[in-house]
Amino acid sequence: MGTLIDTPLTLAALRFSYSGRMVLRDVSLVLRPGEMVALVGPSGCGKTTLAHIAAGTLAPDRGRVLRRYRRHGVVFQEPRLLPWATARDNIALPLTLDGVRPEEARHRAEEAAVRVALEPADLGKHPAELSGGMRQRVAIARALVVDPDFMIFDEPFGALDVVLRRRMQDIVIREVTERGLAGLFITHDLSEAARLAHRIAVMHPKGQGVLGSAVPPGRPGDRTERQLFDYVQSSLAGDPLFADLQSVDERAAPAVCGCDPIGVQRCC
Amino acid sequence: MSPRAAPLARLRERGEALPLALAEAGSRYGPGLAGLLLGLGLWQLGALSYGPFILPTPFATAKAVAGILGAPEGWAIVGATVLRVIAGLSLATAIGGALGIAAGYLPLLMRLLRPWATILLGMPAIAWVILTMIWFGPTHGAVIFTVAVMTTPVIFTGAAEGVLTRDRRLDDMARGFGGSAWARFRRVAVFQIAGHLAPVFAIALALSFKVAIMSELVTNVTGIGGALALARTHLDIDQALAWVALSVTALLVLEHAAVRPLRRRLERWRALGRG
Ligand SMILES: Nc1ncnc2c1ncn2[C@@H]1O[C@H](COP(=O)(O)OP(=O)(O)OP(=O)(O)O)[C@@H](O)[C@H]1O
Ligand SMILES: [Mg+2]
Repeated sequence: MGTLIDTPLTLAALRFSYSGRMVLRDVSLVLRPGEMVALVGPSGCGKTTLAHIAAGTLAPDRGRVLRRYRRHGVVFQEPRLLPWATARDNIALPLTLDGVRPEEARHRAEEAAVRVALEPADLGKHPAELSGGMRQRVAIARALVVDPDFMIFDEPFGALDVVLRRRMQDIVIREVTERGLAGLFITHDLSEAARLAHRIAVMHPKGQGVLGSAVPPGRPGDRTERQLFDYVQSSLAGDPLFADLQSVDERAAPAVCGCDPIGVQRCC
Repeated sequence: MSPRAAPLARLRERGEALPLALAEAGSRYGPGLAGLLLGLGLWQLGALSYGPFILPTPFATAKAVAGILGAPEGWAIVGATVLRVIAGLSLATAIGGALGIAAGYLPLLMRLLRPWATILLGMPAIAWVILTMIWFGPTHGAVIFTVAVMTTPVIFTGAAEGVLTRDRRLDDMARGFGGSAWARFRRVAVFQIAGHLAPVFAIALALSFKVAIMSELVTNVTGIGGALALARTHLDIDQALAWVALSVTALLVLEHAAVRPLRRRLERWRALGRG
């Protein structure tokens, strides 16, 4: 068991409110080295907010975020690609932001594209010309291009169909097992969590802390479909930790943030 | 295919593509051309019914235009107005653009400047023409200043709106990848601001011409406005209409040479995935 020094990410007693409405309270989570933790919880419990705090795009009102990793990559709930840039330039963006020379940025973007099985022919296309799955691949490649040692995924595959979802999960599992990538994988799908995480943490349905965590048998990548199915079934049926997750499928209409980058409506 | 056959085949291909290209050009420019011809027809009818002292025919106007452009002085007059427009609008773009972007990012600056932008937007152009004539006398400076002062608030508002309506989620994304404020501005925000500013800029360009000509007319500075003033004193309707036609043409040329290509580059991606 490592000491606190080795933990790549420690979230301690986080509290966060959106204009006075508290959505996170006493949320604490400690990740071990090389550990991919899935964070599950029903819609609206504050998972995205937590991901943004972990990624540093939101600052908590209270609590601490301790990072011991070199560099993180983030895959957001929607792909968040630059609509005017090609897939290649989108993947290269984190490098461009760093001031890496364009030649090298392009080259590294193409390498990252290979890791997510993007066709070279698609790299010259704009996001509007790509399918949903390809867009999400671009978003993953963009996160991998900086060679991160920590990854934050926020329900990256929520909008994809089952087959595509499976392929994407395999890409994540490969990165985790082959490169020892630690990270936080947010999802509301328990079987997805069980497939690709070392450990599953469950969030309180109203964002009042992390209820606890469970460790599925085996390691990501070598759990069989049968094992996964049995684990999910028995957890949902018997483990009180997952009691609130059941209601997830009838997701109460989530507060989708209506945002049109072209129109007059302000973005949130 | 042998290398010698290749040009032939290419030629044939081009031959087959020609009708297609013509059809495309026809559907692209046809309606606009038809509208223009209709207008010319109405003009001709008007000229016939009111007589050449009230409304000369399009042909007479074209002849007057040809006369003006036949002499180097004619080109110099058009050039003087165009250069003043370019100078005034450049000044406005530099000042209005910089202030607008700054105000978009700094709410305090926005609150400080917005009332001024509103006041300046509401000021009638003729008021500035009179004021600058008193301040600067009948000079280049007066015309350029009037153009700049009329278009600066337009550019300012466009730039500030561009910053405010940008997609914040992209900004957050870039911050999540560790982008500094400057890098996020350069790599993510600038493109969105420019996209917002391009149509505003086209409006500002048209406004610049109107203001420049009015200012030249009142101050009697050499330029299209000055030439119009002369045509008025001589009651020369042929010349007056010719100068109007020239000023509209100059605006169209400038817009197609400078603004359109920029807009096409900025907005190319919007057409993607739509059709
Ligand atoms: N920008 C915002 N302004 C105000 N309230 C917000 C904002 N973003 C989210 N919220 C609210 O905060 C709560 C948590 O939202 P969050 O997006 O973190 O949930 P989530 O767990 O990611 O949900 P989902 O599974 O649907 O993605 C919700 O009640 C939501 O309505
Ligand atoms: Mg979410």
